[in-house]
Amino acid sequence: MVNYGGDEVSALVIDIGTSSVRAGYAGDDAPKAVIPTTYGFHRAAPDADSAMPDAADPTRSGTGKFAKMYMGQYGPSVWREGMEVANPLTDGLVHDFEPVAALMRHAVVDVMRCNPTEHPILVTEPAWNTPANRERMAEIMFEEFQVPAFYIANTGVLNAFAAGKGSALVIDVGQTIASVTPIVDGFVLRKGLVYSSLPQLIHAHARHTLLNPTPQRRGGIDLYPHQLITNKMPVELGAPPRYTLREDRVKGTTESWRMWYEAREVDEWTQSVAGVLEQGWNDQAAASRPPRQYEFPTGYNAWFTSERYSVGEQFFWHSPQLMASNAGLPKTIPALISESLRACDPELRQVLVGNVVLTGGGSLFAGFGDRLSSELARSFPHVKIHSPGNPVERRYGGWLGGSVLASLGTFHQLWISKEEWAEHGKAIVGQRCK
Amino acid sequence: MSNSADVRSILSLPSAAATPAPPQKKAALPSARKPDGISRELFSLIGPSSTTLVAQLAKPRLKQKPNLGAGSKIKWEWRAFKNGGRTDSLQLRHWVKASTDPDVEYPFAKYNVQRPTFTYTQEEYTLWLHDNEWTKEETDYLMAIVQEYDTRWYVIQDRYEYSGTVPRSMEDLKDRYCSVCRKLLRNRPWTGDESTKQVLLSSFAFDKEREVLRKRYVASLENRTPEQIAEEEALYMEIKRLEQNERRFKRDRDDLLRTIAGIESGLPDVVEDEVQLTGLTLDSKRSKKKGGGGGDLDSPSTPLIATPLPKRALPPPTLPKNSAYDLQHCITRTDIAGAAGAAASTKAAHQPAYLRSFKMPFPKSAIAPKVTQVLVELGVSPTRLVMPTQGNVALLEGLMDATAVLVETKKVVDKVEYDIQVLKNRLGMQSAAGAKTEEPDGGVDAMAMEVDGGDDADGDADGEGEDGRAQSVVSTRSARSRKHARRSLSISSVDTSATVSTRAGTKRQRRS
Repeated sequence: MVNYGGDEVSALVIDIGTSSVRAGYAGDDAPKAVIPTTYGFHRAAPDADSAMPDAADPTRSGTGKFAKMYMGQYGPSVWREGMEVANPLTDGLVHDFEPVAALMRHAVVDVMRCNPTEHPILVTEPAWNTPANRERMAEIMFEEFQVPAFYIANTGVLNAFAAGKGSALVIDVGQTIASVTPIVDGFVLRKGLVYSSLPQLIHAHARHTLLNPTPQRRGGIDLYPHQLITNKMPVELGAPPRYTLREDRVKGTTESWRMWYEAREVDEWTQSVAGVLEQGWNDQAAASRPPRQYEFPTGYNAWFTSERYSVGEQFFWHSPQLMASNAGLPKTIPALISESLRACDPELRQVLVGNVVLTGGGSLFAGFGDRLSSELARSFPHVKIHSPGNPVERRYGGWLGGSVLASLGTFHQLWISKEEWAEHGKAIVGQRCK
Repeated sequence: MSNSADVRSILSLPSAAATPAPPQKKAALPSARKPDGISRELFSLIGPSSTTLVAQLAKPRLKQKPNLGAGSKIKWEWRAFKNGGRTDSLQLRHWVKASTDPDVEYPFAKYNVQRPTFTYTQEEYTLWLHDNEWTKEETDYLMAIVQEYDTRWYVIQDRYEYSGTVPRSMEDLKDRYCSVCRKLLRNRPWTGDESTKQVLLSSFAFDKEREVLRKRYVASLENRTPEQIAEEEALYMEIKRLEQNERRFKRDRDDLLRTIAGIESGLPDVVEDEVQLTGLTLDSKRSKKKGGGGGDLDSPSTPLIATPLPKRALPPPTLPKNSAYDLQHCITRTDIAGAAGAAASTKAAHQPAYLRSFKMPFPKSAIAPKVTQVLVELGVSPTRLVMPTQGNVALLEGLMDATAVLVETKKVVDKVEYDIQVLKNRLGMQSAAGAKTEEPDGGVDAMAMEVDGGDDADGDADGEGEDGRAQSVVSTRSARSRKHARRSLSISSVDTSATVSTRAGTKRQRRS
């Protein structure tokens, strides 16, 4: 019964990211439940309209500050009058545990239909997580979910495990944070850990590109989501859109929901149109690429030419003017990598460069992998990049590594059991999960 | 019911009962089972003999399914298990075959291996482990963290956070840990046998200086500029190319010598020569070859073994000397022993067979036209010697040397005369101007220098001529003889040393 060192104890793996919460059984190759981390809610107020009409919604009566929470597939993306939207994570770290617990419960209980008291649960954390945060997570797991055993593992390490490596340089590009983590023998080298909010800069740049007029375009593009549009007419390329708004809904739309949905529209545009040049920025090369058409929910459609490449260029290069004008500018990917390697032992660098793991949904940006390999090959002749071609493996690398780890027979002595939690308290988390 | 016997009787054929076989057959028949797909009547008619028919009529069968589970059902059980690697009472559950023993130890617990820990008391610390650089508290911390991270030094160095001291490098940490363990091992009473103690001690051996130096090398290796790397690669390629050329040349030479000299006489010399060549040209390569082992085809034996061989092998053939016979048949014997005794090397001991015309002297290329001209004036053809015997060649060589000296002298005389002429003219002009007397002295000095310079230039031209030589055998020969000619001006030494240098010269030229 010892197959490749695996021994299934029906553990669950929960990977909480800024864009989504992934949950599933250890030993599977993809998470069973993927729900957005962003949730919708109605504020608890004494005169709040507590009786919502649609009972079919996967809603949950909130406690404390929330009158009602909307999570999952039909959560924040459904328009509701007066619904606000929030994300419990900032810079990859949980700052608000109340909705996180609710999200985990939704994923495990409502989507997976599991009883958390029957399964050991492995949760992931970013490498820069604070001890207070992981202890709080353990507390939620043991006190609220009553799990029999718990472990919290580092996403960097798990991404390396998902790639089948014990030592690796993990380049993880998420929704808000891009990080470079050197892993040696399954341990994070904390001195070499670097991260920056580069993806947020990319998003801001893309938004700026869409909202500001260009030589071809007189005004900015309206980013109204389709929920707010009654009807629209087909228009010529580049012509001003002809649509009518749903005035009844516009009134009841909250600012947070609209911002969130506009950000989604920008992200969608980025994912389908934007790219990065494989061999570095070159005006001719950018102009020679075929333009790409994109239609917004308002019906406005246009060809996007070289501006779609200037968005991706921000990942790898910042113009000196931009750097001069903005001191707190997040570091580019090559800068992060060289900073991380500089902090490592010279002897380790060769090992790490030969085991680069590219992961995270942000790394699926068109042309990202090719550009990274050409950038790295320039400074390191023996670089080898592991980047799974399968987008699921790329997006859920952390979860996959957790699935591998939690189904290993040798791992089961590392679980923090309920008994140990009761005996040692919070200190056990720091001792066990190094 | 009709069988073959009935048919026979109907057709009034001679009964098969005449022979004793049929009854036996009949007895055997019932035992032969009727195959499927053939009617009973037909079978009883033709009997079991026509096998082909039976085989064709047999019902086609599907391939047999593999029997995997051996038929019996396996019962699985969702069973709680106790992990021996855990200190608490946590019971996780997994699926196991119901037939397995529930009390058996968890199979993965055996991977939970702990390193032996080293602990020490306060007395032990003060007695053996005291170090000015380290406090006892920090040493305790170090031992604990090494244990915690299981001697993964990169991780230990990353997580090492001891407040209030100097920052420790990885080598500092390793050095301290290993020295503590070594000292404890050495000083404590040892119960096991000595060899295991030695093994354990050697596992804690750590040379800090060497490690630091090595790290520095690694760092410098990484800090090379792209140009340096490119240069290094180019040099490496060049070396590879040279080695290849060398090998090819040696093989060609080997073959040539073998064809000319015959295998038994030439071989030791070939080896010796090759070693000398490599020694002359590329020292590093030689050492590399030696390190590479004797498996190389190109070097059949190591030079150390080859050296004494000729001394033993050569004396017998030189012994029978019959001067009368030699004189009659124009045989000249070279004094091998004398040549071998020369300081040059044992390589000179062998002289492969060659044509006498190879030894024909040639004038120096710089003055060749003039020498030829003089010879023509004398009525001697320098290129074609009708009978190039040793004596004739020696005569021609002497003549050519004399001519060369004559030409050289003539040149110098001409030059000096010209200079005198020039100086006289200048002196006349100066005296006409009524000037100082120091000038002419300086002029004479200058003249002498000029003469020297002219000689140098000559020598350079000669050297260039040598360098410009082509690679063919003919040119090698000519070079050798030219060398020969030049040498005979100064020393009438053994020609062997000349050949060595010539070969080296050609060699060098080929490589460049």
